[in-house]
Amino acid sequence: MTILYDTQSLLERYLTKLIRNPTLLGTNLVTPVIFLVLFSQLLTKFGEFIPSTPGGYLAYLTPGVIMLNAMISAPLGGVSLANDLNSGFLSKMLLTQVSRPAILLGRLVTDMLIAVAESIITIVVALLMGVQFSSGPPGILLILVTVAFFEFALSGIFLTVGIRTRKTETISALSGVLFFPLIFISSAMFPISFFPSWAQTFSNYNPVSYASDVTRNLVAGGLTFNSLVSAYLLIGIIAGLTFAATLLQFRKVVS
Amino acid sequence: MVYNDGTRAVEGISFSVDEGEFFGFLGPNGAGKSTTIKVLTTLLRKNSGKVSVSGLDLDKSPGEIRKAVGVLSQETSLDVDLTGWENLHLQGRLQQMSGRVLDERVAELLKLVQLEDVAKKPAGHYSGGMRKRLDLASALIHRPRLLFLDEPTTGLDTQSRAAIWEYLEGLNRNEGITIFLTTQYLEEADRLCRKLSVIDHGQLIANGTPSELKESIGGDTINLTLKDATLRPTVKEILRAVPGVIDVIDSDGGVTAYAKSAGQIIAAIITSLDRAGIQPSFLSISSPTLDDVFLRKTGRRIRAEELSRKETEPFLT
Repeated sequence: MTILYDTQSLLERYLTKLIRNPTLLGTNLVTPVIFLVLFSQLLTKFGEFIPSTPGGYLAYLTPGVIMLNAMISAPLGGVSLANDLNSGFLSKMLLTQVSRPAILLGRLVTDMLIAVAESIITIVVALLMGVQFSSGPPGILLILVTVAFFEFALSGIFLTVGIRTRKTETISALSGVLFFPLIFISSAMFPISFFPSWAQTFSNYNPVSYASDVTRNLVAGGLTFNSLVSAYLLIGIIAGLTFAATLLQFRKVVS
Repeated sequence: MVYNDGTRAVEGISFSVDEGEFFGFLGPNGAGKSTTIKVLTTLLRKNSGKVSVSGLDLDKSPGEIRKAVGVLSQETSLDVDLTGWENLHLQGRLQQMSGRVLDERVAELLKLVQLEDVAKKPAGHYSGGMRKRLDLASALIHRPRLLFLDEPTTGLDTQSRAAIWEYLEGLNRNEGITIFLTTQYLEEADRLCRKLSVIDHGQLIANGTPSELKESIGGDTINLTLKDATLRPTVKEILRAVPGVIDVIDSDGGVTAYAKSAGQIIAAIITSLDRAGIQPSFLSISSPTLDDVFLRKTGRRIRAEELSRKETEPFLT
């Protein structure tokens, strides 16, 4: 299959580029540790307010940090595509027999792998700090699948913007504006019962809350089939929309 | 070919290139050379007209055309984080090559463009000339029968330019690869191309072999530079009256006259000018060059001022 071969070729390209850029690679891998240690240490006392969560605030925070990292690495793909557009490398690829969708898929799979790698680091550090994962290895595996799916949905936003604007500055500006409300007005970092009612309403519709809750239930236990399905359905809808938008923008460039 | 913003880049041009030909598309910056290449290589969609490349219809089989042609774009496009070897290898994989066939082809091309020693270094460390050579090698990876080169030596130093010329002549002569080259350098077109089209403002203004084009000038050129530009009409009138002069046109800084054999009438020209009390500040006689062809057809010369006009069209639209 051309599409699989090309996706694999491009995935290898992006991973090689990442390894050749130690600062970027290092930052991506260290960020999860910093967030986890920083927030859990600064807000240790927070655990007293959430007695129902076993393992205290650190255990509550772990799923939130996993989602936060996924969000921070999501713009990488858009930046990379904008750079390829500006340098003429994308045109060079389009002059070959490469499967067109593979150019997008190769980048999306790269972003998903980065998010999964960061999640693994977060989970290992959390385990070392004493967090119990009640659902065991199968639960951890499902966390990683959830993060990968979540990342796929998010990356599409930045791929679309990257193709449309060809400006990496726009992507980083947008990521700030988009991420702070999405991550902080959700159940990712703090229980929503502490929020004013408007923020609770926002949080109830925020996909970040759904992804965080699924992950949290896999850490602390109590995942229901319904919450899993509704989270995957919502992320699936967003993924469908962002991928369609990416394809639409990409087709304008390709033809 | 009209861009979305209404810019008419190339209009009503028609030409054909035979198999095995070394064809040159000569014109100043912004003439429409890159646009033509982008249309021919499936990167830009034309608004109207009929194009067949390598016997394939551009509208019906763009995929087949991409398989048959290699393209070296004006902007060197390499992944600067990847090594020379990795760049070629990736290009080969995108051209659906794999395994030992690909490995051998990569080694062969690195040898051809003399980059074996630096093959394991990231392309970002390469000089401009080395990058261009690597880019040329990647255009050749899938053994195309037709090679499009968009200003392959623009911005290169003399030595790198000479090296590229040698590879291209070798590819055309030894492997029979058809070459379609655009250039703004008359010297390059004169040395490499066996057939030429001259393009300006999106329209073809001349076709033929370099010697045919030069012969079409009708003989030698006599260039006169004048201190006082207002004397131009008078000087033109005087020169036209000299027996043997075929034509006189305005040129930068003076006038240019065409004559079958300039040596025999130069004395008469000087005498006539002297009688009118006009002394040219500079006078030269030359056999026709492609520059003269361009001057004759457009009234302008191709040279540095022309070259500094930057192309504003984006690579993809």
